[in-house]
Amino acid sequence: MSLFDWVVLGSFLAFVVLYGMWKTRGKKNIQDFLLANKTTPWYTVTLSIMATQASAITFLSTPGQAYVDGMRFVQFYLGLPLAMIILSVTAVPLFHNLKVYTAYEYLEQRFDLKNRLLGSVLFLIQRGLAAGFTILAPSLIVSILLGWDVQLTVLITGILVVLYTASGGTDAVNKTHLMQMLIITVGMGTAFFMIIYSLPKDISFLDATKIAGKMGKLNAITFDFDWKDRYNFWTGLIGGTFLALSYFGTDQSQVQRYLSGKSIAQSRIGLLANGVIKIPMQFGILFLGAMVFVFYQFALPPLFFNSVETTNVKKSAYASEYQILENKYEVIHNEKQAKIREMLDADKKNDKIKFSEAAESVNRSKKNALEIRKEAAGLIKKANPGADTNDTNFIFLTFVVNILPAGLIGLILAAIFSASMSSTSAELNALASTTVVDIYKRMIKPEGTERHYVMVSKLSTIFWGFYAISFALFANRMGSLIEAVNILGSLFYGTILGIFLIAFYFKKIGGSATFYSALAAELVVIGCFFFTDIPYLWYNVIGCVLLILLAHLVHPFVKKLSRPL
Amino acid sequence: MESNKHKDENMWEEKPPFLSSWKRLYSIVFLNLVILVLLFYLFTKIFS
Repeated sequence: MSLFDWVVLGSFLAFVVLYGMWKTRGKKNIQDFLLANKTTPWYTVTLSIMATQASAITFLSTPGQAYVDGMRFVQFYLGLPLAMIILSVTAVPLFHNLKVYTAYEYLEQRFDLKNRLLGSVLFLIQRGLAAGFTILAPSLIVSILLGWDVQLTVLITGILVVLYTASGGTDAVNKTHLMQMLIITVGMGTAFFMIIYSLPKDISFLDATKIAGKMGKLNAITFDFDWKDRYNFWTGLIGGTFLALSYFGTDQSQVQRYLSGKSIAQSRIGLLANGVIKIPMQFGILFLGAMVFVFYQFALPPLFFNSVETTNVKKSAYASEYQILENKYEVIHNEKQAKIREMLDADKKNDKIKFSEAAESVNRSKKNALEIRKEAAGLIKKANPGADTNDTNFIFLTFVVNILPAGLIGLILAAIFSASMSSTSAELNALASTTVVDIYKRMIKPEGTERHYVMVSKLSTIFWGFYAISFALFANRMGSLIEAVNILGSLFYGTILGIFLIAFYFKKIGGSATFYSALAAELVVIGCFFFTDIPYLWYNVIGCVLLILLAHLVHPFVKKLSRPL
Repeated sequence: MESNKHKDENMWEEKPPFLSSWKRLYSIVFLNLVILVLLFYLFTKIFS
């Protein structure tokens, strides 16, 4: 990295932290600290919701996902707009009207204390670990590609976030989200234009899109139903709606964003705008990944994108075998490139027969290249049995570091760290709120002063910050990061959503029936994860539906048992 | 107390700042989803 990149990255990080701390200093009461005094306008709510969801993983892993698997991941978000509508109708007015600080407070008002604690504890477990992932993901990837010490990167990112989140609470999180979203948009937009600019001069944008399409990377929608397929229209619409309902309706890191809205209307519009913008945004990021794929059809990509593992295998007993694979890969790459040019030529001459022959042979070469990549991953595993053979997360940043000019690398890194910090700050803020409001104030010290609770909230933010940092320091292998985070969420979200749906819609069902059914449903979901190969998006549906059914079955018996003799 | 109650009622009845009714706004969000799915389908078909 050049000095200019360091200046861009360093000044942005310093500016965000200092701005966050200075703009939001002196919070004296808990409503101000945890809900920004309910003064946030809708556009800040929208950007804050988006910045919370879009972590660095989104920007590092998603383009790589498109490079490897095409754009079908966009279907994961199809349920989100429906969830935004449902939540605007139900949860937003309810939470605002009850004047709750956390979503789980409502569970006690509707059921009893044990349901509130169950909801809070499931959230704290899941979100506490996820916060660790959020800090680790960019640190790990950036460290590997730039040779930085991963532990130092984790510590710096984590401590910077803790500083302004503990200092200014929700207001600091919301205000810094605005700037972070701005830098993310500028960074990703610039990266997109640079990819198109870096293509060979005779390859137009339309040519690049055609190449990506013919090589199977623009598969945005498939209506074929396959139970075992992770991403198709049906899993996205059904599973995605359940996941989004649960994430936005019951996860405090999101609930807190729209609870800070000025009014019900402002919170609702904040959510609905997210429902309109989110899918095109994800489409754009995936399309960027497809264009990186096209770029690497004309420039030889590394056989394996994780440079540390490549260096390891080259120093091992398998070095010569790996070298042979690299040579083969280069030959196939050159053949493929020639065939792609033939394909474009045939397209320009409108020669359909030659075009489909060339397209077939391009896809044959692509298959051969994939086989060689698999063999390379096998060698990497032999050289280092602990190696992670999934290099999806390294693809985009490899392009950034190797191709972009000085200054822009700093800008993209600033965007990635912004994304990491924006999600982490919202997570820490929500973890602190739940700890203080649902556990500390409710169970340990109900009669404290406002100043005392603000202090405990700050300490709690620092505690969760160090918990997440510690997790990030000890975890190191994660496969595709964006999937890891979503799988972790899906293990718990179905059950939490089920509890809230019963609370909203099944007024006859009481606290005990819900509580025991929730425990049973959670066990089944965990069983599905360990003992079946059901795609993870369905866990949300299974957990939620099973909980509602069980609660209906158990309800008459629990009611009988709890009747006084 | 009375004014707080009045403020709460206003919050419930508050209209959206644009499109004049919530139903219309929800329909726009839903319609946007349908259009996106349709566009993605065409995009997939045209370029695959």
